[in-house]
Amino acid sequence: MSRTAKILSLAFIAFWLLTALAPSLIAPGDPLAINPAQAFQKPGLGHLFGTDESGRDVYTRVVHGARDSLFIGIAATALGMGLAIVLGTAAALSPRWLDEAILRVLEALYAVPSLLMALLIIAFTGPGVGPAIVAVGLSTAPGYARLVRSQIRTLRRSEMLEAATVLGRGPWAKVRNHLVPNALKPLLALVTLGIGQAVIWAAALSFLGLGTPPPAPEWGAMLSAGRTYLHLAWWMSLFPGLAIVVVAAGATLIGRALGGKVKAL
Amino acid sequence: MNQPVIAVENLRVSFGGTTAVDGVSFTLHAGRALALVGESGSGKSVTARSLLGLSGGRAAADALEICGQDARDLSDGQWRQIRGTRISMILQDALMALDPLRPVGREIGDALKAHGSAPASARRAQVIDALAAVRVPEPERRARQRSTELSGGMRQRALIAQALIGDPQVVIADEATTALDSQLTALVLSQLRDIKEQGRAVLMISHDLAQVAQLADDIAVMRQGKIVEFGPAIEVLGSPQHEYTKTLLQAVPSGVPRFSSLSPGSAVPQCPARPNTTSAALRVNSLSKSFGGHPAVQDVSFELPRGKTLGIVGESGSGKTTTARMVLGIERPDSGTVELLGQGFVPQRESARRELRRQMGAIYQNPLGSFDPRYSVSQLLTDALSQGRTKRSSQYRDEVARLLEQVELDPALGGRNPVELSGGQRQRLAIARALAAKPAVLILDEPVSALDVSVQATVLDLLDRIQLETGTSYLFISHDLSVIEHMSDAVAVMYQGRIVEQGPTEQIFGDPQQDYTKQLLSAMPRLR
Repeated sequence: MSRTAKILSLAFIAFWLLTALAPSLIAPGDPLAINPAQAFQKPGLGHLFGTDESGRDVYTRVVHGARDSLFIGIAATALGMGLAIVLGTAAALSPRWLDEAILRVLEALYAVPSLLMALLIIAFTGPGVGPAIVAVGLSTAPGYARLVRSQIRTLRRSEMLEAATVLGRGPWAKVRNHLVPNALKPLLALVTLGIGQAVIWAAALSFLGLGTPPPAPEWGAMLSAGRTYLHLAWWMSLFPGLAIVVVAAGATLIGRALGGKVKAL
Repeated sequence: MNQPVIAVENLRVSFGGTTAVDGVSFTLHAGRALALVGESGSGKSVTARSLLGLSGGRAAADALEICGQDARDLSDGQWRQIRGTRISMILQDALMALDPLRPVGREIGDALKAHGSAPASARRAQVIDALAAVRVPEPERRARQRSTELSGGMRQRALIAQALIGDPQVVIADEATTALDSQLTALVLSQLRDIKEQGRAVLMISHDLAQVAQLADDIAVMRQGKIVEFGPAIEVLGSPQHEYTKTLLQAVPSGVPRFSSLSPGSAVPQCPARPNTTSAALRVNSLSKSFGGHPAVQDVSFELPRGKTLGIVGESGSGKTTTARMVLGIERPDSGTVELLGQGFVPQRESARRELRRQMGAIYQNPLGSFDPRYSVSQLLTDALSQGRTKRSSQYRDEVARLLEQVELDPALGGRNPVELSGGQRQRLAIARALAAKPAVLILDEPVSALDVSVQATVLDLLDRIQLETGTSYLFISHDLSVIEHMSDAVAVMYQGRIVEQGPTEQIFGDPQQDYTKQLLSAMPRLR
């Protein structure tokens, strides 16, 4: 990664972290404050992104919405990745029959489109932030798990592991010190890509009314609300939509840059 | 004398800001062989590649004539006309250089296709003639085979046929014998001699003076982009003038007695205070292993006394490495046992022998592959010292420093990643890591085969010193007879998975009994 790209990526991550953790710093208003007299204001000096049908400030809501959207995205990816490490490592190091069994289960899960599976899970658990995280996390896990498994299988036959055996390292030391860290390094790029993807899915679930419940600000839910008034208040949908695009595209670009770096090593 | 086929004057090649070749001049005549000798990075390969227009950097020269033609400002198209027909190159690694998916005949014929418009049938006949000329038996059948179906010797011959098919006047052999076992090396050298006798000029690039001595009429010793000594081979080898040439000559291990220093400045203790015990550090009893029905190792037995070195020598595929892997307990033998310090080591459950593993270390040909790429030099050593409990603890700082000192590595390298080290430094690090547990036995599998002769000399001297200081026993595996002769107290010769002969070094090298050993020794290049 070039120096400029590094600085830009770090600035991007810092900006969104700040937005998610301390939204009031850049948007001091109350995202839930209703003011019917001010409904459907166009974007202008008073309301940077305009107002919605209840007169709430869209700018404030987009900024405050970052917390839920990013939290669901990151938590879901962490859940999926954690599960994948356990399953993938177990499969790679297990006797053949167990490896095959885990693989078949992963393949069956992989065959179901991820979003469809997320919907299925929510059908059991009911809507909400927690269920959205679990749904997105579980549906991304099979893909990661297959990658972790193949990484570990390659590493397991490496000279590095042979050397560790010759040095007298036990099985746990080998997994903990060498296998898992080296298998995860190339997956770092994938995780960044995955966060962008998970943010979109979280928004999609909220758009369908299955994620963050209203009136809490969340980008997908805001898009959904704005859809009804698209012909007279385009700004209600445009700005949360833009936020999703910027976060997802940014995460993807950083992921790709990291991926290039990993390949070069 | 007649017109030289190659005349180079003041050749300079630079990459970015760094100068790789700095004012090199030489001439080469038909029917002669010139050797460019030097360690990696001395600019010898870049010089040779400049003659093919492939230097890869910015090249300039006062004169660069190939067969009388000024080659300084040739276009890519003009270079392609010259390559293969006037000047060609024998590549180093036959397995890498030949496409594994195409018949070798087609690979060889490609050069003809690029240059002439001869019909396919004529080309095929020419390819078969070329293979016959390098003494490939049944050339018609071989031409239809893929490189992976050929033996090492056949592949090497095919590679030479490929270089000769365009009838070039100059043939460049860039480290064409490096990493080949002694029989293949002898084969390539004799082929190069044939090429010379056909009236072609040979430019040989090598870091090994013993091999160069077999063939070269003239020798140019290169260092840091410059030729430091140039003259007829007899004079350069017989009465070297430059210090660096003397260092290179001293580094050749063949015929140098045990524990005599190969590199300047390395102090090997003069009077070896070695334990004169007969107790065995390692005892191997009839190990056998086959892969898919093919026997790789059959009934191999030997004993390694404490504080001594047993050399195992043999060509590639003779089962040396499989034997080493079974001794190390990485490969499970079909039958046979290994005892380490009188305790059973193979076959044993891994958990049962883990404690005993501290007594046996391993050094590989490519040490980089055996290091965790995330660890720095001092982290690797800390990990080894703490037996995998930690990789960054100040508790082991003194011991890490002591290990680095023991293998003569600069303590300032501690923070580096092994990728940033040179080949010789990496091997020193590998030795330091293996020594962390103070093992009784080191298994060294081709530990210096990837190193230049001058670097190899310093690593061999280091191993000598460590053995004298610590009394560690070495199982030293190599295809290089001269290294084995210099390092071993006793030698086992392996051929097709069996030990065909073993005994004290002087006996094996002075009075070999088996035909195979005799054949192997006759192929050994000697300087002294």
